[in-house]
Amino acid sequence: MNTQRIGAIFEKDLKEFRKNMMLLMMPVIPIFLAIMYSRMGEGELPVFLLYLIVGATYSAVTTSGMMTMMAEENEKKTLRGLIQSPASLADILIGKSLVVGLFTFISLVISLAILGNDEFLAFQPIVGLILLFLFFLLLGIGIGLFTKSVANTSAYIMPVMFLFGFTPMIEFLNLGEDSIAIKIADYFPIMQMIDMHETNSWTAIGIVAIWVIAAAIFTFICLKKVSTDN
Amino acid sequence: MENAIQVSGLRKTFGQQVAIEDVSFNVKKGEIFGLLGPSGSGKTTTIKILTGELKQTTGDVHVLDTDASSFDSTQFKSKIGILSDNSSLYERLTVYDNLKLFCKLYDAPLERIDVILEEVNLKNDRNKVVSKLSKGMKQRILLAKALVHQPELVFLDEPTSALDPGNVIHIHRGLQKLNEAGTTIFLTTHDMEEATKLCDRVAFLDNGKIQELGNPDELRFKYSTHDFHIETTMNEKLVLENDSKNADQIRDLIAAGKVKSIQSDKPTLGDVFLQLTGKELV
Repeated sequence: MNTQRIGAIFEKDLKEFRKNMMLLMMPVIPIFLAIMYSRMGEGELPVFLLYLIVGATYSAVTTSGMMTMMAEENEKKTLRGLIQSPASLADILIGKSLVVGLFTFISLVISLAILGNDEFLAFQPIVGLILLFLFFLLLGIGIGLFTKSVANTSAYIMPVMFLFGFTPMIEFLNLGEDSIAIKIADYFPIMQMIDMHETNSWTAIGIVAIWVIAAAIFTFICLKKVSTDN
Repeated sequence: MENAIQVSGLRKTFGQQVAIEDVSFNVKKGEIFGLLGPSGSGKTTTIKILTGELKQTTGDVHVLDTDASSFDSTQFKSKIGILSDNSSLYERLTVYDNLKLFCKLYDAPLERIDVILEEVNLKNDRNKVVSKLSKGMKQRILLAKALVHQPELVFLDEPTSALDPGNVIHIHRGLQKLNEAGTTIFLTTHDMEEATKLCDRVAFLDNGKIQELGNPDELRFKYSTHDFHIETTMNEKLVLENDSKNADQIRDLIAAGKVKSIQSDKPTLGDVFLQLTGKELV
């Protein structure tokens, strides 16, 4: 790893992010949702709605942003130029992740500030939010590497958003408590975070960590595939 | 002279398809070496193997004393520059920002940007957004990107394609200057004039095999019929064998003032390739 190279990629991607309207609009989505929810009525918002905002931020900004940036590098063949340079894959991915992380952080902080909720300002939720960020980031890198064009990313972002970002919405499908879909969804990262929030359980954090490891393995496989075209 | 590139028994297959078959050649340090061949002959595959983008199926490949297994090392990547059909630019960024990125990635001083932009005739366009530039200008920025860190060895895949004649001359001068400064250049081209003008040695690649290798002038001489081509003042075209029995006829034509032009047969590299493979170099 080389800080100068990471810095160079961060600087380049920050400039690109600021000039890409599609990417720039993504951090606005959770903020817009937060404004809507904050006007829904008096009193505290239910926890699942808070995590819906978190899920929207991570899927729309982190995963979608990373996926779009990687897919664009693939589509325009610029990723090959970076790989051919002395920058390591770690330098490239960290540089990009810092840009996505910055915009995710700004979007999340503004959204939560609008909702006026300070329950996230504790050690356990922060650890959970960091793990959740890593999960969505790795998912974005992996799918982005795998995706050959920006147009294709929209086909992948929808399942990611609905499966992992908006998992609590499954409640609205009235599937019943015993539904196998509900039981599976309960193990999804956002649902585990809601469980952690309500029970202070570290087991939930452990399950989210397993999701992070699974996303890391998926990303590693995609990286191996893209690093050479033998 | 030391070798910059050593290739021995190189073979590359994609499934059942053989792309390169038993290719061996050396490129000396400080040399301009041209790999010539029609589309699909294996030129790009060879460059990809030499730059670590592809792994060979069998054979030994050494570039700048580095074995192919270490082509992904930072040290190796710092010593080479690549302009290939895969090279691309960040279209939303300016020319300067694109080169600044690669200066920083290669740990080269930022002062190099203006020097290299001067060499590719783009100094006045440094603050223009890449998406607004012509294809030829983009090609020149790609060349600048490949050279900005002053590599020891440069791989150029069709470096002057899409350039107008004026800029081709400018780029040729730049490459010759670069070579005089000690940089080894490995290039592929379809342009036979370019190969003849720039290359110290060329190799003809066809169906994944090297058909011939040597100095362009020597190859042209080797494959010449050595016949005399005479154009008379009556616009008559005569082809006479380079044989003593024709000496009197040539002398008589000259003595009678009937010779408009006379030259010995000297095929182009394209003609040589045609003789060797029966194919046009397109």
